[in-house]
Amino acid sequence: MNSDDELAERLRAGDETALREVYDRHGAAVLHLAQRLLGNRADAEDVTQVTFVAAWTGRDGFDPHRGSMLGWLLGIARRKTVDRIRAAARDQRTSRTVQVQASAPPVDESPERVVDRMVVADEMRRLPEEQRRTLELAFFDDLSHPQIAAVTGLPLGTVKSHIRRGMANLRRRWEVDGATTSGSRSTGPSRAL
Amino acid sequence: MQRHLDPDRLVLLALSEETEEQTELDHLQHCADCRHEFQTLRDVAEIGAETAGIRDLPPPPEHVWQAIRAGVADARASAEPAAVADPSRHRVRRERPRWLAPVLAAAAAAVIAAAGTAGFDRFADREPSAQVVARAILAPLETVPPNAGGDVRVLSDGRLRVDVQNLPLTSGFHEVWLLDPDTPGKMVALGNLPGRVETVLTVPAGTDLNRYRLVDISDEPHDGDATHSGRSLLRGTLTK
Repeated sequence: MNSDDELAERLRAGDETALREVYDRHGAAVLHLAQRLLGNRADAEDVTQVTFVAAWTGRDGFDPHRGSMLGWLLGIARRKTVDRIRAAARDQRTSRTVQVQASAPPVDESPERVVDRMVVADEMRRLPEEQRRTLELAFFDDLSHPQIAAVTGLPLGTVKSHIRRGMANLRRRWEVDGATTSGSRSTGPSRAL
Repeated sequence: MQRHLDPDRLVLLALSEETEEQTELDHLQHCADCRHEFQTLRDVAEIGAETAGIRDLPPPPEHVWQAIRAGVADARASAEPAAVADPSRHRVRRERPRWLAPVLAAAAAAVIAAAGTAGFDRFADREPSAQVVARAILAPLETVPPNAGGDVRVLSDGRLRVDVQNLPLTSGFHEVWLLDPDTPGKMVALGNLPGRVETVLTVPAGTDLNRYRLVDISDEPHDGDATHSGRSLLRGTLTK
């Protein structure tokens, strides 16, 4: 898997195959975010398209040292989604017709949370295999450390260290790329885990 | 105040694997550092658990990528690479071919001019009775292999000769269009390329070649939709 750095470099050089790689890697996440926020598949596909074209034209603005490719893309997608919602509201005002409200977005969660989840899921995929596996057993299957040790055959100490390091990795990524941590929430002093 | 809570212990507490003892609760109440640490780990664990549902998101449909390609091709054709194009002109859906680009930028035109004039006078040599009134060198759009290309001659009797090389294979067919670069969506369909190197098509009588001056070769699927697919392969501007 190419690193964000390498992809960024190829993008800057105008290499469209790099855009395709970025799209293959993150297109589903962008579409998912847009759909969660807009509640409408067709608009979400439009936003996905506009997001990747904007990513292409604005590719010089991506700095891999400030955040991940996915975080950057999701930031663009959120702005494009807001643009879309505003434009729809404007259209409705100017046409002055009482219309069926464009299917209201599901408001059961904040956009920030959707972004956070996507960023953490992306980091999960990047973790070393054993680390990821132990975290999945802890998160998804709600297994205790000893149970994970039993299931995986790993020594308990190894399970503990995988989980601790895995959590630290997820946390670091979340603090860099997550929506709730950037700006709106002070990260505060953090001790090394 | 007692020592900070052990990091391993905090992880266990954050995962709700064990419950806090009274001394730990007391410490958390008084120690902002540990409280922050604990809360952050708990957030991470919560978000982590929520990722179960999005582990295998389905990839977007291919037509979204095609729309991105068209948008990128436009952005490249209409401005220098990093300029801000207006991607909102492109839409994924195809009700109307709104994707059409403005004229090729000067930079692109320069590339086309440099693409060479080899083989230029073949048709004229063979067709002494018909004069070449306009010609265009076709250059590949960015999504097309750079060795693809072609040239176009419009003869005084209304015939248009197309000569293409290295077009990408298609499961549909290649269609030739004359576009009005100043009015997105306005175009004339001339016909398709049967796969031979040279093809002769007819420009409808009365067509204003000063307006419909951008020759476009597209990849069209067999979908019965007579409008442009949005997948342009080659383009070039007719000049005298």
